[in-house]
Amino acid sequence: MNRNKLIEVFISNLANTIVHQILEKAAFDRPEKAEGYNKEFTNSWELAKRYREKINPINRSLPDKDIQKIKTKIANKVNTELKLRISKGYQNINLTLVEEFVDKVLIEMKVI
Amino acid sequence: MDQIYLPKNRTGLSNGEYVMITSINNTIEKQKQKFKLYFYNTKNLEQIKMKIIDEIFRQINGLNPENIILTGSFLEPGFKFNDIDILIVNEKKYNSEMLKARIENLTGIKTHILFLDSKTLLSGLASDPLYSLMLSKCISQNRLIFKTKREINYKILDLNLLKSKTLIDNYEQLNGSEKYYLTMNMISILLFIKGKKLSKDIVNKEIERLFEVKINDIKENLLDKQEFLKKYKKIYNNTFNLIIENVA
Repeated sequence: MNRNKLIEVFISNLANTIVHQILEKAAFDRPEKAEGYNKEFTNSWELAKRYREKINPINRSLPDKDIQKIKTKIANKVNTELKLRISKGYQNINLTLVEEFVDKVLIEMKVI
Repeated sequence: MDQIYLPKNRTGLSNGEYVMITSINNTIEKQKQKFKLYFYNTKNLEQIKMKIIDEIFRQINGLNPENIILTGSFLEPGFKFNDIDILIVNEKKYNSEMLKARIENLTGIKTHILFLDSKTLLSGLASDPLYSLMLSKCISQNRLIFKTKREINYKILDLNLLKSKTLIDNYEQLNGSEKYYLTMNMISILLFIKGKKLSKDIVNKEIERLFEVKINDIKENLLDKQEFLKKYKKIYNNTFNLIIENVA
């Protein structure tokens, strides 16, 4: 898989992780109820980690142009998924969390 | 000739093993330490597994929880399991990390422990297909009551289905077991929405019918990628549409 393709699947998995986290907040009125579900978002998270390990530079931030591209694409994907649900009447989805969550996962993945 | 009846699921006494018959009075103290377990759709478990199960229940029983439920791949025939899944039903939570470490040390098997109260368990059984699937094959310390009225919570189903989306983007990266798990998750949600009964056998049969493949071929990663993914995407989208149209 070439670098661009790796970045694409990396983005998809991080977007899926964030959508899962935001929907978890929307679906459960009490955070402890979501406990059993936490195990599962790690699926996309673990896959994203596997891809990150193949994207150079591995142990430090990516170049600025990559960061911007990744940030924008993740946010767009997450917003699209969430807005689709909102348009169907799904309540309690907090779109203002998207930016914060994107930054958080990118820091954890050593992208930023 | 007198006969002695032995339960099929037991610790010790393998076929052909020499045994000594003795009066119950002699073993009354040992019997007191044993506890009765309830087996749901778990037939002919291997002797070594029964010993491990007995030890796990013994360890957790010291905490005196309302119920202990053992489930997951460990209860499948053979030794291809990934881990031991344990549900501890109790109002109060304990330090699961310590308990996990103790069981892992004792058994050498990766352990996953989930604490939940009985109300959460019942609501999970009513609204989450994974709970039904999980408890369709399990061993518990106390009898389980499965008579819960199904309540479809589309938000939870949406969350659960999202996991299965992973297969579409990561087909090449996933091994056979992961592909099977994600497919099973999706099909159990579909059956749950349609009001069908859930068990691992029922879900497996439905997977084989819809995908026209054998379960083992999925687990062994022996699939025709294009054909499988085409069907998978179609079923995923249909299931997602069923959920999203009702999520409001």
